[in-house]
Amino acid sequence: MEDKIKETIDYLKKKKVDYADLRHQKTGIEDIKVKNGNVEALSRRDDQGFGVRVIADGAWGFAASSICSVAEMKRVANQAIQIAKASALTKKENARLAEAEVYNDKYASQYAIDPFEVPIDKKIGLLLDACAIMMKNPKIKVAEGSMEFFKTDKIFASTEGVFIEQSILESGAGISATAVDGSEAQRRSYPNSHRGDYASRGYEFVEEMKFLENAERIREEAVQLLSAEPLPEMETTIIISGNQMALQVHESCGHPTELDRVLGTEISLAGGSFLTMDKLNKLKYGSEKVTITADATLPGGLGSFGYDDEGVKAQRVDLVKNGLFAGYQTSRETALVLKQKSNGTMRADGWNRIPLIRMTNINLEPGEWELEDLIKDTKSGLFLDMNKSWSIDDKRLNFQFGVEAAWEIKDGKLAKIYKNAVYTGITPEFWNSCDAVCSRKHWHIWGVPNCGKGEPMQIMHVAHGTSPTRFRNVKVGVSK
Amino acid sequence: MIGKEKILDTLASVLKKSEADQTEAVYIGGESGLTRFANSTIHQNVFEVNSRVYFRVALGKKIGVAATNSFTKTDLKKALSNAIEIAKNQKENPNFPGLPSKEKVLKLNTYFKKTANFTPIERAQEIKKIFDQAKVHNLTAAGSFSTGETEIAVANTNGVNSYQPLTSTFINIIVMGDNSSGYADCLSRDVEEIDVELLSQIAIQKCLDSKDPKGLEPGEYDVVLEPSAVAALLEWMNYIGFGSKSFQEGTSFLSNRIGQKIMGENITIYDDGNDQSAIAFPFDFEGVPKKKVTLIENGIAKGVVYDSISAHKDKVKSTGHALTPDSADGALALNLFIEGGDSSVDKMIKSVERGLLITRFHYINGLLDTTRALLTGMTRDGTFWIENGKVKHGVKNLRFTESMLKAFSHAAQISEERKIINAWWGDVGCVVAPAMLIKNFKFTGKTEF
Repeated sequence: MEDKIKETIDYLKKKKVDYADLRHQKTGIEDIKVKNGNVEALSRRDDQGFGVRVIADGAWGFAASSICSVAEMKRVANQAIQIAKASALTKKENARLAEAEVYNDKYASQYAIDPFEVPIDKKIGLLLDACAIMMKNPKIKVAEGSMEFFKTDKIFASTEGVFIEQSILESGAGISATAVDGSEAQRRSYPNSHRGDYASRGYEFVEEMKFLENAERIREEAVQLLSAEPLPEMETTIIISGNQMALQVHESCGHPTELDRVLGTEISLAGGSFLTMDKLNKLKYGSEKVTITADATLPGGLGSFGYDDEGVKAQRVDLVKNGLFAGYQTSRETALVLKQKSNGTMRADGWNRIPLIRMTNINLEPGEWELEDLIKDTKSGLFLDMNKSWSIDDKRLNFQFGVEAAWEIKDGKLAKIYKNAVYTGITPEFWNSCDAVCSRKHWHIWGVPNCGKGEPMQIMHVAHGTSPTRFRNVKVGVSK
Repeated sequence: MIGKEKILDTLASVLKKSEADQTEAVYIGGESGLTRFANSTIHQNVFEVNSRVYFRVALGKKIGVAATNSFTKTDLKKALSNAIEIAKNQKENPNFPGLPSKEKVLKLNTYFKKTANFTPIERAQEIKKIFDQAKVHNLTAAGSFSTGETEIAVANTNGVNSYQPLTSTFINIIVMGDNSSGYADCLSRDVEEIDVELLSQIAIQKCLDSKDPKGLEPGEYDVVLEPSAVAALLEWMNYIGFGSKSFQEGTSFLSNRIGQKIMGENITIYDDGNDQSAIAFPFDFEGVPKKKVTLIENGIAKGVVYDSISAHKDKVKSTGHALTPDSADGALALNLFIEGGDSSVDKMIKSVERGLLITRFHYINGLLDTTRALLTGMTRDGTFWIENGKVKHGVKNLRFTESMLKAFSHAAQISEERKIINAWWGDVGCVVAPAMLIKNFKFTGKTEF
């Protein structure tokens, strides 16, 4: 494959394009879903192909094919050039890229146990055992579990001389129990909702999850929620669990700090961003407790890698520093607008897609509180756990999240449980009301395997390091 | 394009050698291009050739699925062998009734040469017209324009042997001003049906009319929802309620309510994959012909759509709504229609004393309370205040949080005209929706623009 790619890059150089890169990607995916004691889905998917991205006549073109011969690579290269020439029909200025180091390197994510080598019956067995525990209460109508494993090998080469090989292994798993009574349905999940938790690790990550030790708890909480009161509407103090904080960071800081979105190039799908460039290093995004980083170098994070899909090395950068809006996630093209170099966040979800600015591991840096102390310190409020629904406006200001369960906090202790809880706010007001973040002991990198962006749609694997966090004067319970 | 004969012959030759008790092959492949624009310039322009072949095998009631995106016989045989290996390690699925047998599939015209052959240059030329029109008003345009062709084939060892080529094209246009925006779109199998000038005018006018939007406090308002807004609600209702999986699990708003009146008498919702006035497709991913299924009739819950496994569980026949073999989401309605009424957007506006005209919704989520079909989302790209029967001015965007059972029980008027709206499930279907006037629609939040 290396020879074919180098021959095609040489061919593109002879075509005198302004710039070109070729990315070959081969991915194997194993997917297991069990429900109520049966295996609902068990599949293996193999996928490979390549994409050629060019700047010709000062404009972008991209073409991709699943047929990986040299002849096809050259045909696709020519097609990408022709597409770039079509793009040039409307260009206002030439597409340009910020300078970048030229790397020839290899990167591989670290793991202890290859999940593709673990016998299928062992993986199914673990999920079925968890289901059996969840099904012990007859009110549980759906007991589910899933595992998903990805093995991706990528080669990236460019006309600037970059040649990078990367191999990334990812694992994810989760269980959930849905209790139903008449027209009432309530779900509890573990360790996170929407298919669980994910990481750039091996099967050891799944083994550490302790499904069997948690199945009974979520079963009983789901049943308890059936008879719980819906959360009443009020303004109160909330402590948000680490897993829900992951989505809070994702939607209200991760997406709005993507510089391509800020520059308007995502308007046609998910919209723009309130974090316009005039606010950089000026806007008080949050309280001084809030420091948010983009860190693609974290070991095991689902948003970790060696190099992005423009060949830029993985980095750690500040997005919010002690409350001040301090930076964007950038690409080589968008970084030029800031007169900077790319901070390496361009990724595509496959060989047939162009890279876009995608979140890496976007983290709310830990504070100093113990969770127990934080609850004790809260006279009146709520503890909100695990995402159920999410929605945010097209500039990332007005958000509303629903959670699986909400516990009242009364005089520093957890009290009764509420169902169908939502909280809502305006992003900067909300983050400025943050007065406590829990410590590294409670900090975890939550893998999010389903971040959508772009047209055609791309589903990216990203992550968020978070710990439980407290916010004051938040509007809750508007779902009735 | 590979062609019917080559695809079906190749699949047949691999199926013939399968050692499984029953084997199914699903081919989805094609070529597609998409041109994306923003700030009145093309910034992304892509093309791909790709295919995927799924094998689903059964060893007794043990099922294995494997897929490859290579169409060489060697890779197809390897994928089939992977599927058999997976099945050997599977548990039995007691609900598996066996693979479907051959049934007659309707002949539909879903392929238009002009769409298949539409070039990046032609897309760029059309897009340039949008930029030129927007420039006249000192506005800019964003959006995307896609064209492509797909071939879908399903074959199995029980005699199913279905093939259908299709083309599709979709354009969306967002015209941007200093503090407002306007939207228009068009979905079709035939690129000749896309009238870029007309769509540009609609988006430009909405942007101009919603300039300098005024703030509005959340509360209950009468709303005139344009077809894009109605379709977005229906997309989510489909995901949480019209398929057999959520129905059987008890999480659907239709669970335990069949035969009950759950919406207004003027609401009828159905799925019809064979209606060529929309984005028709005649069979599902098990090769079962699509049947017309009434989901809500005159406000009464009537039923859901099924694939073969979920149908067997409920002792009914598949309605032809299976998804691809790797999916565990059960069946989904991919060709949704809401029956039209006798009104129009103009008539609706004239009848509203104080209310809102809404072009479209953004980022809807319906997972909070699926048994009530409780959805939340934001308005976007053209939200207007109506007073005494006239559109007065633009308003800043609002968040709604509302049960669709309540909202669709308060639909005072429904337009006769319906529009074909693009849905997330792509080129095998769509949502056909009218405009609606809904009374007392609940808004729970506001934003700053």
